[in-house]
Amino acid sequence: PRPLLTGHSCPSCQLFLSGEQNMLAEKVDQMMEWSSRRSVIRMNGDKFRRFVKAPPRNYSVIVMFTALQPQRQCSVCRQANEEYQVLANSWRYSSAFSNKLFFTVVDYDEGADVFQQLNMNSAPTFMHFPSKGKPKRADTFDLQRIGFASEQLAKWIADRTDVQIRVFRPPNYSGTIALALLVSLVGGLLYLRRNNLEFIYNKTGWAMAALCVVFAMTSGQMWNHIRGPPYAHKNPQNGQVSYIHGSSQAQFVAESHIILLLNAAISMGMVLLNEAASSKGDVGKRRIICLVGLGLVVFFFSFLLSIFRSKYHGYPYR
Amino acid sequence: MAEHHTAPDYKHKASSNAAGALSGNGRAGSSGGSGGLSGGLTQPAGWQSLLSFTILFLAWLAGFSSRLFAVIRFESIIHEFDPWFNYRSTHHLTTNGFYEFLNWFDERAWYPLGRIVGGTVYPGLMLTAGLIHYVLNLLNVTVHIRDVCVFLAPVFSGLTSISTFLLTRELWNQGAGLLAACFIAIVPGYISRSVAGSFDNEGIAIFALQFTYYLWVKSVKTGSVFWAIACCLSYFYMVSAWGGYVFIINLIPLHVFVLLLMQRFSRRLYIAYSTFYIVGLVLSMQIPFVGFQPIRTSEHMAAAGVFALLQAYAFLQYLKDRLTRQEFQTLFFLGVSLAAGVVFFTVIYLTYTGEPYHHLYAKIHIPIIASVSEHQPTTWVSFFFDLHILVCTFPAGLWFCIKNINDERVFVALYAISAVYFAGVMVRLMLTLTPVVCMLSAIAFSNVFEHYLGDDMKREKPPAEDSSDEDDKRNSGNLYDKAGKVRKHVSDIVTMLMLMLLMMFAVHCTWVTSNAYSSPSVVLASYNHDGSRNILDDFREAYYWLRQNTDEHARVMSWWDYGYQIAGMANRTTLVDNNTWNNSHIALVGKAMSSNESAAYEIMKSLDVDYVLIIFGGVIGYSGDDINKFLWMVRIAEGEHPKDIRESDYFTPQGEFRVDKAGSPTLLNCLMYKMSYYRFGEMQLDFRTPPGFDRTRNAEIGNKDIRLKHLEEAFTSEHWLVRIYRVKKEDNRQGLDHKPRNLSQKQKYISKKLMGGKCAPRGAWLAWRRGAL
Repeated sequence: PRPLLTGHSCPSCQLFLSGEQNMLAEKVDQMMEWSSRRSVIRMNGDKFRRFVKAPPRNYSVIVMFTALQPQRQCSVCRQANEEYQVLANSWRYSSAFSNKLFFTVVDYDEGADVFQQLNMNSAPTFMHFPSKGKPKRADTFDLQRIGFASEQLAKWIADRTDVQIRVFRPPNYSGTIALALLVSLVGGLLYLRRNNLEFIYNKTGWAMAALCVVFAMTSGQMWNHIRGPPYAHKNPQNGQVSYIHGSSQAQFVAESHIILLLNAAISMGMVLLNEAASSKGDVGKRRIICLVGLGLVVFFFSFLLSIFRSKYHGYPYR
Repeated sequence: MAEHHTAPDYKHKASSNAAGALSGNGRAGSSGGSGGLSGGLTQPAGWQSLLSFTILFLAWLAGFSSRLFAVIRFESIIHEFDPWFNYRSTHHLTTNGFYEFLNWFDERAWYPLGRIVGGTVYPGLMLTAGLIHYVLNLLNVTVHIRDVCVFLAPVFSGLTSISTFLLTRELWNQGAGLLAACFIAIVPGYISRSVAGSFDNEGIAIFALQFTYYLWVKSVKTGSVFWAIACCLSYFYMVSAWGGYVFIINLIPLHVFVLLLMQRFSRRLYIAYSTFYIVGLVLSMQIPFVGFQPIRTSEHMAAAGVFALLQAYAFLQYLKDRLTRQEFQTLFFLGVSLAAGVVFFTVIYLTYTGEPYHHLYAKIHIPIIASVSEHQPTTWVSFFFDLHILVCTFPAGLWFCIKNINDERVFVALYAISAVYFAGVMVRLMLTLTPVVCMLSAIAFSNVFEHYLGDDMKREKPPAEDSSDEDDKRNSGNLYDKAGKVRKHVSDIVTMLMLMLLMMFAVHCTWVTSNAYSSPSVVLASYNHDGSRNILDDFREAYYWLRQNTDEHARVMSWWDYGYQIAGMANRTTLVDNNTWNNSHIALVGKAMSSNESAAYEIMKSLDVDYVLIIFGGVIGYSGDDINKFLWMVRIAEGEHPKDIRESDYFTPQGEFRVDKAGSPTLLNCLMYKMSYYRFGEMQLDFRTPPGFDRTRNAEIGNKDIRLKHLEEAFTSEHWLVRIYRVKKEDNRQGLDHKPRNLSQKQKYISKKLMGGKCAPRGAWLAWRRGAL
């Protein structure tokens, strides 16, 4: 809209300076107004060029380039956006909030030209536009290595702009609400069935629940939960799918499920062996139960051992 | 060759012992099971106890001897890192006496801060070793305190197996108890923390844990104050030995709580828990390191809450007898709403003060905690590696326990579930899972053996029918009437296969112990192609050099992993050590290691460093060296000094960590790199590789021409594993030209804690000293 003036060709320097100052004040006012409405300012191509790229500026701008439209199917963008919102809100409502730093976002579908202009071909990307000069290499946030947790972003911003942001996460009530719902559901169920509470005293049910916990833990589901491994590995060359991880330091989700089943089968075998001997019933039937139990124990244990052997190199026994 | 001879012999001995014990056990199991039935008719009671004693003794022996691999291969030596500190303090205890030990201020650690040792350790381990040493010397058996320390954990493993036997006997029967004792004697999950030479808290703490649980179960069963007090004393020992006592103080209240929910409240329970809580609380507060934590921190609150609940419940029970139904209901309603209100406000208060969450947050986010490999979740492989067949069979034991539930089996079920959860979260806590796995597997196996092994004996002599005692009803009828029904050969096959499984377990345990858990890590061994062995004794060589050739008060800077070893073996002052209590001090050392030489010199000067010690594995291909740990140093330094150290500077633009020519220039010029590879560029290890080829990282180093300005090489061990550098004193001052001098204050590199005022006099002293220089 407003043509860019270059310093040397201006007819009257005095006029230019005051014009520039007016323009700066105008820009800052505009930015402040936007950011008072929403903590993250949405920008399109024109706004971006006017408020972020073009001098004069005395404020730093953090820009998230992203693609949030559902048809883009960028799940990382959504997660990154949430973290970014947390950070921007922490800044917006902190006591140190000032007109030195603004958080903005450019969506690919609203400002594709910006992406082309900056030669950008991946989203999300975080960039810092300093108040003076052009962005340097370190002004692009290293997403691959550090991740996009708001704490990391805050650290990066503190590094680039000297603005310390203390990240304040809104407490997550969803867990509490889910728990309350569950408790009330269980309570309601108990109340409805208050005449017939025997199922609480059902030992089999409790034993099953306990065993489920045990099997989940011994097959390494907690590891899966913390590390988030892939379900299985598909070899890109020949398309072969391997369910067992080759190293003893890691595992796939599928693998842990297999182990869970094997452990459960062995335990069931032991229980069956015991049942066969202690129950009163037909001799032939008990013998079959006994043999089935024994088979379960021996077969699945040797299977388990062979999987272990394939993972733990140098293990001498089979 | 001598070693070659002993090891297989050894293995044979251990496994045959175990197998013998196990097969003997089956018989004992059946007789134990029928003990109540047969009374004195079929077997004299003497045989039973003789058999039990023999089996327990053999289990002790097997457990003890399978922990000796390291002693036989190397020598009687303290392992790893933490044990060196424990050894050093035990030594201090035996030479200076108990009170000196309690008041010990160690000025040789954490220079210049020092460390109050007496108030920051669990003293149980040192006192136990010191006491044994004292008693032995009193009997004129002269042993060195080092030998007491080395063999303490194997001896205690025998006590552990006895207390496991006692506990399992309370839970199930004698046969299962003996089986459990044999399992825990040789299971790798426990051996990993109790081999000879690993002189660490866990070695005695597992005994204390099991014994406390036994006494607790006993006191719940009998309801006598005697057993409850004994339980408290054992708990006191546990508190003095290991921070894991928190597990007990949460599990026992949980047990009581669940029993209340199951409406199994009884006077016995009331007596046991009330006694345990009060006396245990008072006793646990006697340990200086624990102090007032039991009434302040959140992890002890459950015990207090359950105590209050139990009193309220007992009071209500009492009122119930006195009041009419109507009055009681009103009172009950009032009481419940009052209690709910109190709990509600307490929770709100705790949430707003936020103390527990803060604690948790720190645990997750501080890199120094994340950097310790023990604090990782557990894969199924490590479960199987440490427990082998037990991990698959203990759910069956849990099933039997829940199916035949009673007061103490509730306890073991809760124990199993909580322990398995914690073991899943953290590899290290596999240790607390191991005993319960042994007990439950023993129950599963003993059940099977009871049914299939005792058959022929039963057929010959059907025992008299007088099943009056024993809480387990299951063995009243069906135990012997099936004898003729299930054919004999089926039960033979079952027995044979089960014994084979147990044999495999014994073999596995021996192999794992021998290969994975028996290296002292102070002395390394490598094997040639023909099977002969090289001992790499570089660590001790270097520490001994320090001890002999440096000033007694020299200060040695190294990464914190080696702090305890330097203090223990070289007897020199260290800046940081494995007791990582001061993160900013460690960050300062990390910063010195990752800065360039002149910046590092400033830091080292301000910390009065005389020598720098690093571990370098590039010559022999040792992967645990400082360059491989280097990124953690950078991360920890960055956490405290984000302006000066940036992790991204140490990566190539592609985000790789490389030491060759493509590596980042910051890395190639930092102090750690320079010290590691100083003069390494001149060294050709092999004709196939260029000079300066790092075997650990398989790369030719990028900076071969390393010159040091402020440091000089003082010592490099035989295989270059340990390198020690001397920090040069400052040169004489340059002649001043006559410009007015600029007397601006330089930045001081003093750690935060020191500035914080807690140690103000020492800080002031340091500043004064610096001023004097």
